[in-house]
Amino acid sequence: MPTPRSDDTMANAPDGRTLETAVTALALRVADAVGPRLRDPVLDRLAGVFVRRHPRAAEAVSSLPQATVLIDAVDLPWGLLLRVGPEGLRLRLCEVATTTADATVRGRFAALLDLAEGRIDGDALFFRRDLTIAGDTALVVALRNALDGEEIDVLAEMDAVAGPLGRLGPMARRHAARVAEALGGLQGALLAPVVGRVGALEKRLARMETRMKAGER
Amino acid sequence: MASFELICPAGTPAALRAAVDAGADSVYCGFRDETNARNFPGLNFSPTEMAEGVAYAHRRGRSLFVAINTYPAASNPAPWHRAVDQAAEFGADAVILADLGLLDYAARRHPRLRLHLSVQASAANADAVALYRDVFGVRRVVLPRVLTVQDIARLTAETGVETEVFVFGGLCPMAEGRCSLSSYATGQSPNRQGVCSPASHVRYEQRGDVMASRLGDFTINLFEEGEPAGYPTLCKGRFVTNDRSSYLFEEPTSLNAVALLPELKAAGVRALKIEGRQRGKAYIAATVAAYRQALDGFDRTGRAEVPMLAGMTEGQRGTTGAYTRTWR
Repeated sequence: MPTPRSDDTMANAPDGRTLETAVTALALRVADAVGPRLRDPVLDRLAGVFVRRHPRAAEAVSSLPQATVLIDAVDLPWGLLLRVGPEGLRLRLCEVATTTADATVRGRFAALLDLAEGRIDGDALFFRRDLTIAGDTALVVALRNALDGEEIDVLAEMDAVAGPLGRLGPMARRHAARVAEALGGLQGALLAPVVGRVGALEKRLARMETRMKAGER
Repeated sequence: MASFELICPAGTPAALRAAVDAGADSVYCGFRDETNARNFPGLNFSPTEMAEGVAYAHRRGRSLFVAINTYPAASNPAPWHRAVDQAAEFGADAVILADLGLLDYAARRHPRLRLHLSVQASAANADAVALYRDVFGVRRVVLPRVLTVQDIARLTAETGVETEVFVFGGLCPMAEGRCSLSSYATGQSPNRQGVCSPASHVRYEQRGDVMASRLGDFTINLFEEGEPAGYPTLCKGRFVTNDRSSYLFEEPTSLNAVALLPELKAAGVRALKIEGRQRGKAYIAATVAAYRQALDGFDRTGRAEVPMLAGMTEGQRGTTGAYTRTWR
């Protein structure tokens, strides 16, 4: 996936929220690097965790007409495309410039993260022009109200997806500042080999798939 | 005894918990349908959530009021009757009503249910309030935001009915319950369907560096880059008259009357209300906590310390509205 914009999330993280911003931004960078074959099942699992942990919001999201909402964090290179409606919640990473959606919510990543967790009021962000809405306003309002009715903790949702590794979450929070700093430094160093390794894995998977299909014939 | 009862909004169960936990004395909520004046997508309470909300408030010694403050449809009053019945069944501490017929229904069916008159009834003089008191047994009136503090003092003294006034939040400059501006633009009524500027009719468009807000087929405001924005309501729209663009009715601004606590106490006001059932729980937690602190401080010292809530306000500005008559 092309990366048309720079990642400036850490510079925009509010005080006391550097860990959450760093971890989620890193997770999104890794998700971008690994490619859709490995990324999409993880995003599906994340959506599943959300539905299980927040049945009221899940029901509200399912009762909406089938639609897509583009979450555009202006300080991240890509956006997040949410599909809502009777078929349930689906998350996908996307390139903002080439993605069309029924509605768009645009703002800095840290503000959007706070909004998702109900730590900040969407109307207040809008009044001070830190949040922009385009397209179907009713869809955005319905989604906002569904999320705001929940006690959402993005790191806890990610912990649940991570399985046993999720136990590291509470420990990381106790040492938030040091962990955030370390994550910032590790981000670049870790990603290069990860991207290379995952790229090789994806190629191997593709070759195996081709051979299996040939075998089926 | 505290000088005032603090009445706080909640559009979701999470917001209700935030309001109670931040120090609300009472919380007001609505069912998830057209029976209340904040009938917005994804907002409000199912019957089960309302029953749980009442229990949550009562366990902590607080009250819960149910707003059923739109006007029933002639062809289908059943949802309004059902809402009153359910509020009584769940043990709500009061229902906030506006319609004469619904007040009559509640008074006859549930004689022990406390009745509050909604701001949507637009009862703005002592004779009107006394009529509601005498005919239906209304115990409290939520006053329209068009009265001065002197008007409020006179009305309170003449009627003996508890008065509740708005102190913070969105500011309706029109005669509430009678305003049809939004209906002209959208075909949906704030007073019948509970939606002023329904989100389904609102669009925001970026036109170069300018953000346009549209309601129905009308462009109602253009905000320059970085200029604080307001709600897409016609009463806060900017219109061109005599070749000049201006706010004809009211600028984007929020009510903040905390500085008037001494005057409101002297006027005999019983309860102070924060507007904003459509707002997020972060707004609820911040404004309720700030007002709790201000009221507790006022009870201790007799002085009103103004909390820093500018970040929460429409247009990033505050006003004391009609209370001091400096408002245009």
